[in-house]
Amino acid sequence: MVSIETILSFTPVLAGLFTLAMIIYSLRVFTSKNLGDAVLAIDALTVDLIVLMILVALYYRTPYLLIGVIPLASWIFLLDLIVSRYLEKRRSK
Amino acid sequence: MIDTILFYLGIGLLFIGGVMDIIASIGFFKFKDFYTRLHAATVGAIGGGFYPLLGVALAVMGLDVDLWFKAVFSGVSLITAAIIALGVPAGSHILARSVYRSREVEPAVIADRLREDLEGGGSN
Repeated sequence: MVSIETILSFTPVLAGLFTLAMIIYSLRVFTSKNLGDAVLAIDALTVDLIVLMILVALYYRTPYLLIGVIPLASWIFLLDLIVSRYLEKRRSK
Repeated sequence: MIDTILFYLGIGLLFIGGVMDIIASIGFFKFKDFYTRLHAATVGAIGGGFYPLLGVALAVMGLDVDLWFKAVFSGVSLITAAIIALGVPAGSHILARSVYRSREVEPAVIADRLREDLEGGGSN
Protein backbone atom coordinates (compact mmCIF):
# COMPACT_ATOMS: atom_id res chain seq x y z
CA MET A 1 0.00 0.00 0.00
CA VAL A 2 1.27 3.43 -0.96
CA SER A 3 0.54 6.16 1.56
CA ILE A 4 -1.62 9.06 0.38
CA GLU A 5 1.09 11.53 1.41
CA THR A 6 3.17 10.23 -1.51
CA ILE A 7 0.80 11.72 -4.08
CA LEU A 8 0.90 15.12 -2.39
CA SER A 9 4.50 15.52 -3.57
CA PHE A 10 3.54 14.84 -7.21
CA THR A 11 0.34 16.85 -7.66
CA PRO A 12 1.82 20.41 -7.48
CA VAL A 13 4.36 19.56 -10.23
CA LEU A 14 1.65 18.03 -12.41
CA ALA A 15 -0.68 20.99 -11.82
CA GLY A 16 2.17 23.28 -12.87
CA LEU A 17 2.66 21.35 -16.13
CA PHE A 18 -1.03 21.55 -17.03
CA THR A 19 -1.26 25.21 -16.01
CA LEU A 20 1.67 26.09 -18.28
CA ALA A 21 -0.08 24.32 -21.17
CA MET A 22 -3.31 26.21 -20.36
CA ILE A 23 -1.46 29.54 -20.48
CA ILE A 24 -0.04 28.79 -23.94
CA TYR A 25 -3.46 27.64 -25.20
CA SER A 26 -5.14 30.80 -23.90
CA LEU A 27 -2.56 32.95 -25.72
CA ARG A 28 -3.85 31.35 -28.93
CA VAL A 29 -7.46 31.93 -27.91
CA PHE A 30 -6.85 35.66 -27.48
CA THR A 31 -4.88 36.03 -30.73
CA SER A 32 -6.98 33.78 -32.96
CA LYS A 33 -8.15 35.19 -36.27
CA ASN A 34 -11.18 32.96 -36.87
CA LEU A 35 -13.82 31.04 -34.97
CA GLY A 36 -12.42 27.57 -35.65
CA ASP A 37 -9.09 28.22 -33.91
CA ALA A 38 -10.80 29.72 -30.86
CA VAL A 39 -13.24 26.82 -30.46
CA LEU A 40 -10.48 24.23 -30.93
CA ALA A 41 -8.33 25.95 -28.29
CA ILE A 42 -11.29 26.18 -25.89
CA ASP A 43 -11.78 22.40 -26.31
CA ALA A 44 -8.16 21.80 -25.33
CA LEU A 45 -8.50 24.26 -22.42
CA THR A 46 -11.54 22.39 -21.14
CA VAL A 47 -9.69 19.06 -21.25
CA ASP A 48 -6.87 20.61 -19.21
CA LEU A 49 -9.37 22.09 -16.75
CA ILE A 50 -10.88 18.63 -16.19
CA VAL A 51 -7.47 17.16 -15.35
CA LEU A 52 -6.68 20.11 -13.07
CA MET A 53 -9.98 19.74 -11.21
CA ILE A 54 -9.29 16.05 -10.58
CA LEU A 55 -5.75 16.84 -9.40
CA VAL A 56 -6.99 19.53 -6.99
CA ALA A 57 -9.66 17.17 -5.66
CA LEU A 58 -6.96 14.53 -5.13
CA TYR A 59 -4.73 17.06 -3.36
CA TYR A 60 -7.42 18.11 -0.89
CA ARG A 61 -8.85 14.55 -0.63
CA THR A 62 -12.44 15.65 -1.19
CA PRO A 63 -14.81 14.14 -3.79
CA TYR A 64 -17.07 17.20 -4.06
CA LEU A 65 -15.04 18.87 -6.80
CA LEU A 66 -15.66 15.82 -9.00
CA ILE A 67 -19.36 16.64 -9.41
CA GLY A 68 -18.73 19.08 -12.22
CA VAL A 69 -16.26 16.97 -14.16
CA ILE A 70 -18.57 14.75 -16.23
CA PRO A 71 -20.90 17.61 -17.37
CA LEU A 72 -17.78 19.62 -18.28
CA ALA A 73 -16.53 16.75 -20.46
CA SER A 74 -19.92 16.59 -22.18
CA TRP A 75 -19.80 20.32 -22.87
CA ILE A 76 -16.80 19.85 -25.18
CA PHE A 77 -18.84 17.90 -27.71
CA LEU A 78 -21.88 20.18 -27.30
CA LEU A 79 -19.80 23.32 -27.96
CA ASP A 80 -18.39 21.81 -31.16
CA LEU A 81 -21.87 20.79 -32.30
CA ILE A 82 -23.43 24.20 -31.61
CA VAL A 83 -20.63 26.17 -33.28
CA SER A 84 -20.62 23.92 -36.35
CA ARG A 85 -24.40 24.28 -36.71
CA TYR A 86 -23.99 28.05 -36.49
CA LEU A 87 -21.33 28.03 -39.20
CA GLU A 88 -23.40 25.82 -41.52
CA LYS A 89 -26.44 28.06 -41.08
CA ARG A 90 -24.38 31.16 -41.79
CA ARG A 91 -23.19 29.58 -45.06
CA SER A 92 -26.72 28.93 -46.29
CA LYS A 93 -27.78 32.57 -45.89
CA MET B 1 3.49 -5.03 -4.46
CA ILE B 2 0.73 -4.70 -7.06
CA ASP B 3 -0.36 -1.45 -5.37
CA THR B 4 3.08 0.10 -5.81
CA ILE B 5 3.19 -0.96 -9.46
CA LEU B 6 -0.28 0.52 -10.10
CA PHE B 7 0.60 3.77 -8.31
CA TYR B 8 3.84 4.41 -10.18
CA LEU B 9 2.29 3.36 -13.50
CA GLY B 10 -0.43 5.96 -12.91
CA ILE B 11 2.07 8.66 -11.94
CA GLY B 12 4.09 7.85 -15.06
CA LEU B 13 0.98 8.19 -17.23
CA LEU B 14 0.23 11.54 -15.56
CA PHE B 15 3.73 12.87 -16.28
CA ILE B 16 3.60 11.61 -19.89
CA GLY B 17 0.26 13.39 -20.25
CA GLY B 18 1.61 16.65 -18.87
CA VAL B 19 4.62 16.64 -21.20
CA MET B 20 2.45 15.76 -24.21
CA ASP B 21 0.05 18.55 -23.29
CA ILE B 22 2.86 21.12 -23.25
CA ILE B 23 4.14 19.80 -26.61
CA ALA B 24 0.61 20.06 -28.04
CA SER B 25 0.16 23.61 -26.78
CA ILE B 26 3.48 24.73 -28.28
CA GLY B 27 2.45 23.12 -31.57
CA PHE B 28 -0.95 24.76 -31.35
CA PHE B 29 0.73 28.13 -30.91
CA LYS B 30 3.31 27.69 -33.66
CA PHE B 31 1.29 26.14 -36.49
CA LYS B 32 0.08 28.49 -39.19
CA ASP B 33 -3.23 27.02 -40.36
CA PHE B 34 -6.45 25.76 -38.82
CA TYR B 35 -6.18 22.41 -40.57
CA THR B 36 -2.67 21.77 -39.24
CA ARG B 37 -3.71 22.87 -35.75
CA LEU B 38 -6.22 20.00 -35.73
CA HIS B 39 -3.29 17.56 -35.33
CA ALA B 40 -1.96 19.43 -32.29
CA ALA B 41 -5.46 19.57 -30.80
CA THR B 42 -5.76 15.79 -31.10
CA VAL B 43 -2.44 15.34 -29.29
CA GLY B 44 -3.71 17.70 -26.60
CA ALA B 45 -6.98 15.82 -26.17
CA ILE B 46 -5.79 12.21 -26.20
CA GLY B 47 -2.28 12.72 -24.83
CA GLY B 48 -3.18 15.53 -22.46
CA GLY B 49 -6.61 14.37 -21.33
CA PHE B 50 -7.09 10.65 -21.85
CA TYR B 51 -3.74 9.39 -20.54
CA PRO B 52 -3.71 11.52 -17.35
CA LEU B 53 -7.25 10.46 -16.46
CA LEU B 54 -6.30 6.79 -16.88
CA GLY B 55 -3.24 7.58 -14.75
CA VAL B 56 -5.39 9.06 -11.97
CA ALA B 57 -7.66 6.00 -12.06
CA LEU B 58 -4.66 3.65 -11.75
CA ALA B 59 -2.81 5.71 -9.13
CA VAL B 60 -5.83 6.02 -6.83
CA MET B 61 -6.33 2.25 -6.90
CA GLY B 62 -2.87 1.81 -5.37
CA LEU B 63 -3.33 4.32 -2.56
CA ASP B 64 -3.92 3.46 1.09
CA VAL B 65 -7.41 5.00 1.37
CA ASP B 66 -11.00 3.88 1.91
CA LEU B 67 -12.84 1.88 -0.70
CA TRP B 68 -15.42 4.61 -1.46
CA PHE B 69 -12.58 7.08 -2.16
CA LYS B 70 -10.99 4.71 -4.67
CA ALA B 71 -14.37 3.94 -6.26
CA VAL B 72 -15.40 7.60 -6.64
CA PHE B 73 -12.07 8.82 -8.02
CA SER B 74 -11.34 5.97 -10.40
CA GLY B 75 -14.98 5.76 -11.57
CA VAL B 76 -15.24 9.47 -12.38
CA SER B 77 -11.82 9.40 -14.06
CA LEU B 78 -12.67 6.40 -16.25
CA ILE B 79 -16.08 7.78 -17.29
CA THR B 80 -14.55 11.16 -18.13
CA ALA B 81 -11.75 9.47 -20.07
CA ALA B 82 -14.34 7.55 -22.11
CA ILE B 83 -16.34 10.73 -22.82
CA ILE B 84 -13.16 12.56 -23.91
CA ALA B 85 -11.95 9.69 -26.10
CA LEU B 86 -15.32 9.50 -27.85
CA GLY B 87 -16.38 13.14 -27.88
CA VAL B 88 -13.32 15.21 -28.72
CA PRO B 89 -12.34 13.47 -32.03
CA ALA B 90 -15.96 13.55 -33.21
CA GLY B 91 -16.29 17.19 -32.20
CA SER B 92 -13.12 18.32 -33.93
CA HIS B 93 -14.19 16.38 -37.03
CA ILE B 94 -17.56 18.13 -37.34
CA LEU B 95 -15.85 21.44 -36.57
CA ALA B 96 -13.37 20.89 -39.42
CA ARG B 97 -16.19 19.90 -41.78
CA SER B 98 -18.29 22.98 -41.04
CA VAL B 99 -15.27 25.31 -41.16
CA TYR B 100 -14.37 23.92 -44.59
CA ARG B 101 -17.90 24.10 -45.95
CA SER B 102 -18.64 27.58 -44.61
CA ARG B 103 -15.34 28.97 -46.05
CA GLU B 104 -14.31 30.27 -42.63
CA VAL B 105 -10.73 29.14 -43.40
CA GLU B 106 -9.51 28.25 -46.87
CA PRO B 107 -6.97 25.40 -46.91
CA ALA B 108 -3.55 26.28 -48.35
CA VAL B 109 -3.52 23.73 -51.19
CA ILE B 110 -2.75 23.90 -54.91
CA ALA B 111 -5.76 22.00 -56.22
CA ASP B 112 -8.96 21.52 -54.21
CA ARG B 113 -10.99 18.76 -55.81
CA LEU B 114 -13.55 18.56 -53.02
CA ARG B 115 -14.43 22.23 -53.48
CA GLU B 116 -14.78 21.68 -57.22
CA ASP B 117 -17.08 18.72 -56.60
CA LEU B 118 -19.16 20.63 -54.06
CA GLU B 119 -19.65 23.65 -56.30
CA GLY B 120 -19.41 22.06 -59.70
CA GLY B 121 -23.14 21.86 -60.24
CA GLY B 122 -23.34 18.21 -59.32
CA SER B 123 -25.72 16.68 -56.84
CA ASN B 124 -24.75 18.75 -53.80
